[in-house]
Amino acid sequence: MFIDVLIVGIMVGAIYTLVTIGYSMVYGMLKLMNFAHGDVYIFGTLLCYTLLAQAHLPPLLGILIAALAGGILASMVEFFAYRRLRAAQHRMISMITALGAAYVIQNASELRWGSQVLPFPSLFPSQLVTVLGHQISVTPIITLAIAVFFIVAFNLFLNHHKMGKAILCVSQDIPTSSLMGIPINRIISMVYFLGGMMGVVGGILYSASYNAISLGMGFRGTIVAFTAAVIGGIGSMSGTLIGGMILGISENIISVYVSSSYRDSIMFLVLIVILLIKPTGIMGKVEQDKL
Amino acid sequence: MLRIKKNRLLLYAGLLACVIVLPFIVRDPYFIGMVNFIIIYSILCLGLNLILGYTGLLSLGHAAFYGIGAYATAILMTKHGFSFLPSLIVSGLLALFFGFLLGLPTRKVRGDYFCLLTIAFGEIFRLVTQAWINFTGGAMGIVGIPIPEVLGWKIQTEIDFYFLGLGLLGFTYGTLHLLTESKFGRAFVAIREDELAASVMGINTPMYKILTFSIGSLYAGIAGSYLAVYQTTVTPSNFRLEESCLMIIMVIVGGMGNLAATFVGVSVMAVAIEFFRPVPEYRLLIIGLIMILVLLFRPQGLLGAAAFKD
Repeated sequence: MFIDVLIVGIMVGAIYTLVTIGYSMVYGMLKLMNFAHGDVYIFGTLLCYTLLAQAHLPPLLGILIAALAGGILASMVEFFAYRRLRAAQHRMISMITALGAAYVIQNASELRWGSQVLPFPSLFPSQLVTVLGHQISVTPIITLAIAVFFIVAFNLFLNHHKMGKAILCVSQDIPTSSLMGIPINRIISMVYFLGGMMGVVGGILYSASYNAISLGMGFRGTIVAFTAAVIGGIGSMSGTLIGGMILGISENIISVYVSSSYRDSIMFLVLIVILLIKPTGIMGKVEQDKL
Repeated sequence: MLRIKKNRLLLYAGLLACVIVLPFIVRDPYFIGMVNFIIIYSILCLGLNLILGYTGLLSLGHAAFYGIGAYATAILMTKHGFSFLPSLIVSGLLALFFGFLLGLPTRKVRGDYFCLLTIAFGEIFRLVTQAWINFTGGAMGIVGIPIPEVLGWKIQTEIDFYFLGLGLLGFTYGTLHLLTESKFGRAFVAIREDELAASVMGINTPMYKILTFSIGSLYAGIAGSYLAVYQTTVTPSNFRLEESCLMIIMVIVGGMGNLAATFVGVSVMAVAIEFFRPVPEYRLLIIGLIMILVLLFRPQGLLGAAAFKD
């Protein structure tokens, strides 16, 4: 049924938004393509798998530990691989160390979990409810609600908390924020930490609703986050939501009604068309060249 | 234009002598095979260095042009009975043409948005080669590409391929050297250092960007054509995004905007990959650490050239 496909699409879109938030924030702030993002969130999700399916921890505790671990890993990557290069001549340099960090994390995860698909436990009951004479599964709706909760909470934090406002300042202008007494390094660590945590939450929700997790989802996650961030317009929060939704919904509609083997090709085709029509993404601002 | 000092000339002559006698001293086919892969990646990365190092366009779709060249040669030689040289030329021109098409949006789509466009192009290429089974053989690829023959010289052994590769590499380096030393090269450097200032000075920056992108892709097509006859098979997995990433890594580890540095970057990464082949489970870990450490201590690459303006 189309309505089911649409609901699952919106759910996947919300999860993509969660995964993209951290990526887009780092991007907007440091103009850094964080290639390690996908591998960080997949590490956290795999850790959650071990905690829930093998150590049998209560789900909330397991998710909390995994999200914290993902956040800490993300800020460690920032500390070891990027911080020294922030003043480098060319930002492509830190992009390559990001890729290096991605390789290291990916390989380390592979040593522990292998690269096969693992059965991630369901987190929510799979009941059906009848809405307007139509049977709908509860799982995607609960997942969607949780994802939306995190997106809203994060936006409130960003716009109303002191720390969140500091993050917004730093992403506008690093030297000026530093002159205003904002501790740049701590804020940047914080952004990585939060981005990693949100990514892990997104990864867990995704894996729980498909009952599957594998290492290969990491690199794909990086590309999805990049695509969603660019479609929406880099660094824009509302753009991230729009980009994530476009990807999630179109992906689901295409896999159901066309073919799942053309899913990714069509996703990229959509991207090319959007970029040719609006070269800075849907919500992106045109950057003026400065002399 | 081409200013070669006397001691430079001696250096070049010495290098040339070394590479010619190399396969006769080290006769180990395994070693020559590794050198052949270094040659393929050198051709690819020289072209990519022109794109990345001279106009600052980040392309993560270089493997697609490599693949276009490889598939063109494979299809022409197995299905249409072409011999190697015409296939090589067609492969190069086809890559040039697609490079031109993908270069066109650089007029409007800027910076990282363009980078994503190249990723999308590369992925669509790979997915189409996987799905279009009648034309490209799908995931199994194309097998049984015949032995190439150049002017009566049958290229069969690793050493034959070494000399064919050396010839193509010499062509690549020579033409790129001439290009970067010419008026075009100075325009490229001006664009790299400050695009806005260059355009104010009357350099047609959009035209130069499209030109660089197509020329860089041309060499990828040549490398692909060589790969097809060397491997005798081509499959979509030869042209994944990881390949494009590896090429970018090689260029940056060597040093952007310095053609000779490309050889260093390619050799360091190829030797590292080969050296850790016995421990495949730790391979990426070690390569990742090498990338991080090299760039932490030498952010401009091992033989980095001029400072970049951000």
